[in-house]
Amino acid sequence: MTSAPLSLRFGRFCYLAFNIGVVVFLLAPIAIVFVFALNPTPYIQFPPVGVSMRWFEKFFASRDFMNALWFSLEVAALTTVAATLFGASAALALARGRLPGSRAITAIMLSPLMLPAILTGLALFQTYVLLDVGRPTWGLVLGHTLVSIPYVVRTTLAVLHNFDTRLEEAAQNLGAGALRTYFEVTLPLTKPGVMAGAVFAFIVSFDQFPISLFLVSPGHETLPITLFNYLKFDLDGTIGAASVVSIVLAVLVVIGLDRTVGLRSTAQL
Amino acid sequence: MTIIRKPVNRRQFLAVAATAGAGVIAAPHVARAQAATLRITGWGGKWAQTMSTEVIPAFEKEFKCKVETDTAFPFLPKLQASSRSNPVYDVLHTNSNEQWAALEMGIVEAKIDAKQVPNIADVYPYAVSDKIVGVCIFTSAIGLGMRTDKGYGKVTSWKDLWDRAYDGVRGGYVIPVNSLGQAFLMMSGRLYGKGMTDLDAAYAAMEKLKPIKLADFTGTMEKMILSGEVGLAVIHDSGILRYDGQNQPTAFVAPSEGVLALEQVLTLTPGTKVRELANAYVNYMLSPGVQKILAESVWYSPANSKVKLDDRYNDKLLTTPAKVATLIQPDWKWYNAHKDEIDARVNRIFRA
Amino acid sequence: MNATRTAVSPIAWLIAPSALLFALFFFLPMGLMALISVLSGNPVVQPNVTFTAKFYTRMLSDSYYFEVIWTTIRIGLFTTLAALLIGYPLAHWMARIRGRTAYALLMMSVLTPMLTGIVVRTFAWMALLSDKGVINQTLTGIGLISKPLPLMYNEFSIVLGLTHIYIPYMVLTLVGVIGRIDERLEHAAQNLGASPLRAFFEVTLPLSLPGILAGSLLVFALAISAYVTPILMGGFQIMTLPMLIYQQISSSFNVGFAAALGMVLLAISLVLIVAYNRILGMISGQRDLQ
Repeated sequence: MTSAPLSLRFGRFCYLAFNIGVVVFLLAPIAIVFVFALNPTPYIQFPPVGVSMRWFEKFFASRDFMNALWFSLEVAALTTVAATLFGASAALALARGRLPGSRAITAIMLSPLMLPAILTGLALFQTYVLLDVGRPTWGLVLGHTLVSIPYVVRTTLAVLHNFDTRLEEAAQNLGAGALRTYFEVTLPLTKPGVMAGAVFAFIVSFDQFPISLFLVSPGHETLPITLFNYLKFDLDGTIGAASVVSIVLAVLVVIGLDRTVGLRSTAQL
Repeated sequence: MTIIRKPVNRRQFLAVAATAGAGVIAAPHVARAQAATLRITGWGGKWAQTMSTEVIPAFEKEFKCKVETDTAFPFLPKLQASSRSNPVYDVLHTNSNEQWAALEMGIVEAKIDAKQVPNIADVYPYAVSDKIVGVCIFTSAIGLGMRTDKGYGKVTSWKDLWDRAYDGVRGGYVIPVNSLGQAFLMMSGRLYGKGMTDLDAAYAAMEKLKPIKLADFTGTMEKMILSGEVGLAVIHDSGILRYDGQNQPTAFVAPSEGVLALEQVLTLTPGTKVRELANAYVNYMLSPGVQKILAESVWYSPANSKVKLDDRYNDKLLTTPAKVATLIQPDWKWYNAHKDEIDARVNRIFRA
Repeated sequence: MNATRTAVSPIAWLIAPSALLFALFFFLPMGLMALISVLSGNPVVQPNVTFTAKFYTRMLSDSYYFEVIWTTIRIGLFTTLAALLIGYPLAHWMARIRGRTAYALLMMSVLTPMLTGIVVRTFAWMALLSDKGVINQTLTGIGLISKPLPLMYNEFSIVLGLTHIYIPYMVLTLVGVIGRIDERLEHAAQNLGASPLRAFFEVTLPLSLPGILAGSLLVFALAISAYVTPILMGGFQIMTLPMLIYQQISSSFNVGFAAALGMVLLAISLVLIVAYNRILGMISGQRDLQ
């Protein structure tokens, strides 16, 4: 390989340089958030005038932010469970159920992803009013679930389409029932796809803004909503501190995933 | 339960009593739960902080109830979508322009009953004028906010905002969504045309304001002035005064042509199930003690004329009949009737 | 196609919970919105509403709305293109990189922005691009410029912000597809004398077309329905359809018109989904023939 022609090595260099550039582009704003979280002035200022923990203190001392953070985690956890159950079983039905019109059904299952979520949010709010149920937490969770299901369906379908159906057929030929085949062959093989879907469901819910906008109720606001409303009154470093906290949480989640299920097999859309 | 004002005949009284009794027997837990909760709206930021730590707990204690405050925008669409007989809020707190829109939709009541809210007797006339739905509890003066460290000339008039010296550092609002922007649009009709309703003059004036940095919310404008991104901008006095004593190089200018009123208005919803509590809340918000706490926390001028603020606040807020007289109250009923037409036009004017 | 495929399997019943959820919490609400877009008022709270086409005629009568729709689509297209051009090489690198740690680090740099939250990320871009932001202050500080560059409040900044937010979706869609392409095919092409670049264009790229399509559709759909980023990065001087919808709901209280605008956005999305399915069908059909 050392004798590779110059043009090849130059090409290789460009390829790496470009990709490193992309990674920098992805991470630069994140780094900026750290700078602003630590800068003591109550507005955007560069270069920073000092280092202070005041925004972190304000964030952790604020009941509103803490409540919102925990509520967001709670909603995201519930959404992840619900979306994974709904989405994975739907994907299985679509891939193995020999449903008539499965292609059209797939398109429908993916459509909440493609629609303006603000409209979905308002429509859900209007529906809850119609059903006279108020603004319950389950309503918010179902709204999040609805827009998370497409991700689970996508990731699970991708795996189901890619693995060899002959494995399942072999199991059945060896006398295993449909159920047993499912639990012993299909499920373990689908796991990476389902896990990936679960991860995205969590992300979509934790970062959900337009669906939550109309569905949150007093005392039960998610973090993005609280941040957005806070931004309207106080554009200070607390936003930065809140971000740093969620970034740290995010990195922990990613590391945890890598340790438990492995990133290479799961994190794909 | 309710204070009976009109004499009622015996049959009516019995009917009401029977209905109420049946209701209590049929759903005792519902009746009790609803009687104990007052649902209101409120701003975020410092206002929310003062309300939740100082103002609301005392009210909850005094009236043995729970107050649920929605601080997540937008308020009106939620109220609009909820049923008239079972609204999501009991008391709506928002700016005057939205209150007029709400009245138009029939989701708030036109007036507060002064008999149920004794403190109304002490408010300045503007707070219950024909330009106000419900009652105004605080007002801010919309004028100009400027940087004092950039060597700009003396600012005395609204017209200084059109000075080419401020190109690149001029600040205004997104007119379709912000009441300061809407009030300012009307003001420019008065400055350059026949009056507050001269839209053609106002549009021409808006065209000449470009380049301009637009904010959708006053908090954003505050920060743009503080960071120096904006040097001269339309803003309410509170947005500048709340940094008083923090050595910020900013100042509020009350233009010679008069300041515009940015009213904080309370209304009751027709379908409220806790009318008595709602009235008590409005009365409480107008009481001198609460008015003083909030005025000194967020620098809003109190509507109650009997309130005595500390000198520091008294000097800068509108606390005398003479100072209050400089307020110009826009005609929001007229504005809302023309809103779609104005939105379509200004969206075009300010597009990049 | 074997005979057993024709009979519906009991597994098909697994679709039932989702079908119910979609019926109640997707079709019913969307139907309600479609209905509201042709009614004179909100049927839930107002009696005596009549059918009307006024919201649609309003849209047709003013070219402003066409411009908004076109701006939305244009921003969506630029964002998709940028995300694809920037995201593809990264996805390729990730799919081919060998070390587990290197892969984990790359994956972390893709997932972290995704987990950071849309409001926060947009705030970070504002901190970078505003007149008093990092770039302008640095350039002014070293004396390169005397007046801040207009980096924000234009279409460029919206596309930049959206690209940053949606690249991860593109990359994650592509990584799987590229990863499944047998590397030996590329080597075979190279052994036959093709340059790595030519091998890429003739082998890898065509085989990853389904991933490109899927990722592009996803990014485009997300970009045209984005709300927070266009608002904060565009400084309200660029109007997109979701912004207009929100403005109609929150400040004009005209849910009917908002619903009608929403139906337009819905129509754009549906056309795209159908087109996507057609093209995908064509590609896989071709492959079957080969």
